[in-house]
Amino acid sequence: MDLAPVLSGFAVVFEPQNLLYCLIGVTLGMLVGVLPGLGPAATIAILLPITYGIDPAAAVILLAGIFYGAQYGGTITSVLLRLPGEASSVVTAIDGYQMARQGKAGSALGIAAIGSFIGGTGSIILLTLVAPFVANFALEFGPAEYTILALIGIFLIATLGNGTLIKSIAAAGVGLILATVGLDPIVGTARFTFGSDQLADGIDFVIVAMGLFGVGEILYNLEHRLRPQPAVLSFGRAIPTRLEWLGARLAILRGSVVGFVLGVLPGGGATMSSLVAYAVEKRSAKDPSRFGKGAIEGVAGPESANNAAATSSFIPLLTLGIPANATMAVLFGALLLQGIPPGPQLIVDHPDVFWGVVNSMYVGNILLLLLSIPLIGVFVRLLKVRAAILAPLTVLITMIGVYSIRNNVFDMFLVVALGLVGYGMKKLGFEPGPFVLAFVLGELLESSFRRSMRLFGGDLGGFVQRPVSAVLVAVFVLTVVVVPVLRAVRGRQAARAEREVVGV
Amino acid sequence: MIAEESAPPGERAVVDGTPPVTELPEGEIPSGGPGHAVLAGVVPVLLGLVTMWLARDLGLGTLTDPGPGLWPMIVAVLVLLTGVGILLRARQATDTEAFTRGAVVVVIAAASLALYAFLFELVGFEIPTVLLLVLWLKFFGNENWRTTAVVSVVATAAAYALFITALGVPLPHLIAI
Repeated sequence: MDLAPVLSGFAVVFEPQNLLYCLIGVTLGMLVGVLPGLGPAATIAILLPITYGIDPAAAVILLAGIFYGAQYGGTITSVLLRLPGEASSVVTAIDGYQMARQGKAGSALGIAAIGSFIGGTGSIILLTLVAPFVANFALEFGPAEYTILALIGIFLIATLGNGTLIKSIAAAGVGLILATVGLDPIVGTARFTFGSDQLADGIDFVIVAMGLFGVGEILYNLEHRLRPQPAVLSFGRAIPTRLEWLGARLAILRGSVVGFVLGVLPGGGATMSSLVAYAVEKRSAKDPSRFGKGAIEGVAGPESANNAAATSSFIPLLTLGIPANATMAVLFGALLLQGIPPGPQLIVDHPDVFWGVVNSMYVGNILLLLLSIPLIGVFVRLLKVRAAILAPLTVLITMIGVYSIRNNVFDMFLVVALGLVGYGMKKLGFEPGPFVLAFVLGELLESSFRRSMRLFGGDLGGFVQRPVSAVLVAVFVLTVVVVPVLRAVRGRQAARAEREVVGV
Repeated sequence: MIAEESAPPGERAVVDGTPPVTELPEGEIPSGGPGHAVLAGVVPVLLGLVTMWLARDLGLGTLTDPGPGLWPMIVAVLVLLTGVGILLRARQATDTEAFTRGAVVVVIAAASLALYAFLFELVGFEIPTVLLLVLWLKFFGNENWRTTAVVSVVATAAAYALFITALGVPLPHLIAI
């Protein structure tokens, strides 16, 4: 492959301002992982308006840093408090917390950081090799292929998420309906605007993401705000011993591979890969009974896996324009805001953005290793920051940020309304993730579908007559069959993991 | 550099005080009854029906030449069907959460944000921002008055510096610098 663009990507990364944005991004990511309440998707959504004015490569470097940085930070609460900050760190809490109780919190955090670093970095290298091929292949795609691809993406996110299958599909459907508000993409008729000029341009994606992820989460946390602050286990250095490293290094390797492969699939890549990696470790151990009692492989495997998966989940977004999870959906919006449509042409048309972002992850992972080994004490102290102070500040940034998109007060009312929708969805068992993702892909899906129908003269059979789209249809059918099986397996494992975390 | 004061490097870490009793947050939230489960199905059914009704008026066109209403109609039917499916399984559902008394706080919080947006353009952003922060810190967060006063004033000043001075957002404001 041609190495020149890859190398010039490094030139982008090492521009001082981009290094600074990378540092800010990963530090924010660590903070988000450690602090209760907001997840990475919400944080990125809230910061979107602020990054509006920054140069595209820098903006995406910053936002991507938040995403993979949060994977490092989430480990800290899992190990020290047995409160997984992210779904992908749930299994880490099983053995990590036991290690902490045995006085080995430092080892657990150290091996998690090293595993995350190796998993993340390995995954970037593989991404560098794989992504150009996928993008090149996808350049041939027409509307029919995009219709099926978007369908696969929405279906997988809906089914691999945490909620019930049917509720996730319902949420995705409502997201698709909301995406049709505004002018018809082909004939220009106003749809569902109820005569309001404010809605004629449709609803801005940023407002939907900020409302459902940002305001929705804050409101949800307000209802149960009186949660007692658990005591933090203290520890010495976050460095594993030589013996622990020898015991964990194969687990790190296996976890990284599992993570990379599962991360590419749309859907809960990081979460699923950490669960699978835990199962792999338990199965390949000579003495599986150590698991649940502080086995270091039970920390090393899943933590390497969730980081590798976080990195490889950039592949579908950057090469096909199909976001693989909720955070990628928000990054999709970030790229659109910057005037860069994500898709196969990204790597050709904007090599500086593509390779700048990809290569910035090397730097980001090194920075995170520094933040999570020598500087970990700083972040542990932050566990004492009260949510009662954070929530009002977050909500303030959200409200002013929303206003700043179009300097329009109407959008502020809209974000509050969507926040209430997000709150209600969580209460009634609907995941906001599929909703936001379907909203993002809604216009692509509708316009590709309608163009295909014109192309095929109204014959639905056209989708299976083009070779590439026929293959994609086959993949779609296959996922419809395979995914429920995967869900059943994962459901059993997650239930077991949860029982062990709770310590029943 | 990293050692907690109580534990010198390399020393066995100590548990401060008694072993902490932590619960997963899910354990504290009561799950919603059958009423919530039914509501979770009724909402998509109604949304589906309303969208279908509106989409029909937009004009469906044909498959060869789809009108503006065809796609919303297809999705609306899907949403309607999922709603029916949720209703059929409502008896077994355990994935909803009850609305506790804390829900009142949520409604007040949302109303305060709407009021904030309303006042924002009328009187500039400074006064509503301080008031919003006082409400959230003092009454939702149970912070003391000193923390409330300091955080709300400093945060308002910081928001001014970030959005108006640094990012150049034309926020309506009283104080000109």
